[in-house]
Amino acid sequence: MIIQPEGLPGDIRREADVVIIGSGAGGGPIAKELSEEGYSVVVLEEGGYFTREDFDFRAGQAFTRLYRDASQTVTLGMPTIVVPQGKTVGGTTTINSGTCLRIPRHVLKRWHLECGLRDISEEELGLLYSAVEEYLQVKRADPEVAGRNNILFLESAEGLGYSGGFLPRNAKDCEGFGVCAYGCPSGAKQSVNVSYIPDAIRAGADLYTRCRAERIVVRGGRATGVRGRFLDPHTGKKTYRMEVEASVVVLAAGAVQTPSLLMHNRLCLSSGRVGKNLSIHPCGAAMALLDEPLGNPKGIPQSAYVDEFAPEGIMLEGVTIPPAVMAITLPWGGRRHAETMWRYPYIGSFGSMISEHDSSGKVVAGPSARQPLTFYNLGRGDLDRLKRSILLMAEIWFAAGAKRVYTPIAGFKELTGPRDFARLARTSLNRAGVYGLSAYHPMGTCSMGADPYSSVIKSSGETWEVENLYICDASMLPTSLGVNPQLTIMSLAMRTAGFIDDRLSEGAFEKQRAGRLERLRGRLRTEKESIAKRLAGESDSPRQLLG
Amino acid sequence: MRNYFVERLRRLAPIFIEPVEDLPPADPEQVVEFSREFLRAGTPAFRVIFYAMIFVLQAICLLVRGKSVYSLPPEEADEFIQSLYNHRFTALSTIPTILGTPMYMAHYNRDDIQEPLGFDIAAMREEAAAREVQR
Repeated sequence: MIIQPEGLPGDIRREADVVIIGSGAGGGPIAKELSEEGYSVVVLEEGGYFTREDFDFRAGQAFTRLYRDASQTVTLGMPTIVVPQGKTVGGTTTINSGTCLRIPRHVLKRWHLECGLRDISEEELGLLYSAVEEYLQVKRADPEVAGRNNILFLESAEGLGYSGGFLPRNAKDCEGFGVCAYGCPSGAKQSVNVSYIPDAIRAGADLYTRCRAERIVVRGGRATGVRGRFLDPHTGKKTYRMEVEASVVVLAAGAVQTPSLLMHNRLCLSSGRVGKNLSIHPCGAAMALLDEPLGNPKGIPQSAYVDEFAPEGIMLEGVTIPPAVMAITLPWGGRRHAETMWRYPYIGSFGSMISEHDSSGKVVAGPSARQPLTFYNLGRGDLDRLKRSILLMAEIWFAAGAKRVYTPIAGFKELTGPRDFARLARTSLNRAGVYGLSAYHPMGTCSMGADPYSSVIKSSGETWEVENLYICDASMLPTSLGVNPQLTIMSLAMRTAGFIDDRLSEGAFEKQRAGRLERLRGRLRTEKESIAKRLAGESDSPRQLLG
Repeated sequence: MRNYFVERLRRLAPIFIEPVEDLPPADPEQVVEFSREFLRAGTPAFRVIFYAMIFVLQAICLLVRGKSVYSLPPEEADEFIQSLYNHRFTALSTIPTILGTPMYMAHYNRDDIQEPLGFDIAAMREEAAAREVQR
């Protein structure tokens, strides 16, 4: 069941086979897999539990309730970049756009060649992806609800000869309310809070909300449990203590919090790689003033993509934003701001995502485990790629009939036509000249690899230094993916769950006999059958999961 | 939030959020209330920087215009804010950006502001309830 701190009588002591820190794309699937295998699973989540009835379309409320630090998490460096992260049951999957892309083949090849991860084979990963896609009912965005903003951009890009299409998403029967980032109000998006976690709870897992893990208990080189504190939902102050003794500890708190917790616990530090190797997919945006109203923000925010420039590390993906977010994105204030906002229905927007080549970042321990510091410097090559992506979006918007294009670049905040466009193309950007940059998908800070001297975890997810301590979130990805990572994290989480199962059931004859791939194939078959059954029957209400 | 900052924020709200066409004007109380919650839920670092920026804005205005930002006539105040936004030194253009973040979010988070812009929350909530998706 889901246990919220309001109903607790006092300090809690628990025993379990597995304790998982974090309930997002990594923690959720592991909780489901292992609890369905019959293990006792306890999940600790720092954020609160919200259901579709709680999601109220308002950016302000979503930022303060569902996002870590009200979305004020930034990187220190040049330029300063906002990196929004979820802090709620389901983690960032609750507030992402639902895009489900597989790892590009050239990235997997790099993992094999540079990181020695040859045992993560294309075949195995393919099976895992299929199982997750089946479970989350992933399909291409429906053009009917893709939103005029995205359709217009895509048509214009195709007119220029650029390849693109509709993105695969985990949102069946999505009606395009346009507020994925504030929690799906219809429950269509199959984020972890409505998929893996409820299934884990049904299989017997317990999830404690507003419980911050502070200490990973290690005895004799082996992880044996977690200690933490509950947080008052209103003041955020610490209340009761939580202690879980477990055979296996899974750290799945995300690429910023996971290394921070390790550093504060002084664990796994001998390779010197904890917190290093941060990549974040820096994102640009181009807004355009058009003649026709676009019906913003109705429509799937991230329904379309242009991948013509993916080989260069540039991916263009749709993004429609409600008024409250557009208001903080505009690069001016006062009267001009008000006049631009008045034209909100006529303003289109699209985003770009850069797969980093020469940028570098790291997470270091802050004054407290809760407040790690994130440093990141955008490299010259990536800055040029960012400028190129903005130019490409401007070109596509102008071809779509835009009168003006708004960019986040100082001195070029408003492009009015080909002359401005050419001037920007000639200009060499400086890093301080990019306004209000954001980035998503922090990853790589506890990377996996075949060499204990240059990685933090094995390909099984277990740390090199502490037995029975597993890491499973975006921090394990050894390189930037160049695409949205949730599907890859979930697939690797299923893989890690298989290794944990092996560890916990060492000696069990049946499980040893069947190979891991064979078991995966079995799971895929079971998944298809259970979805067919689920579609035929009725689901539990999310409120019934509460303790 | 201390009373000093509450008072300053109340007076800054109409400078940052100008009235336009048929949209309701800024409600300083609502801006203060939202900003209080936004800052409370956020990072201590942002909170400190936000408060510091209130002082810095005033200091720059006194230095450049010879008057308090709160006593500038509306057009002059708008011009001053724009000049900071457009300044080529990032350190200066960041000042109104940071101050504007909670204020603009507060204002455009209001239902009576969002509805005329085509974002009708009440209607969408009704539709979402009718179209609940079961797994």
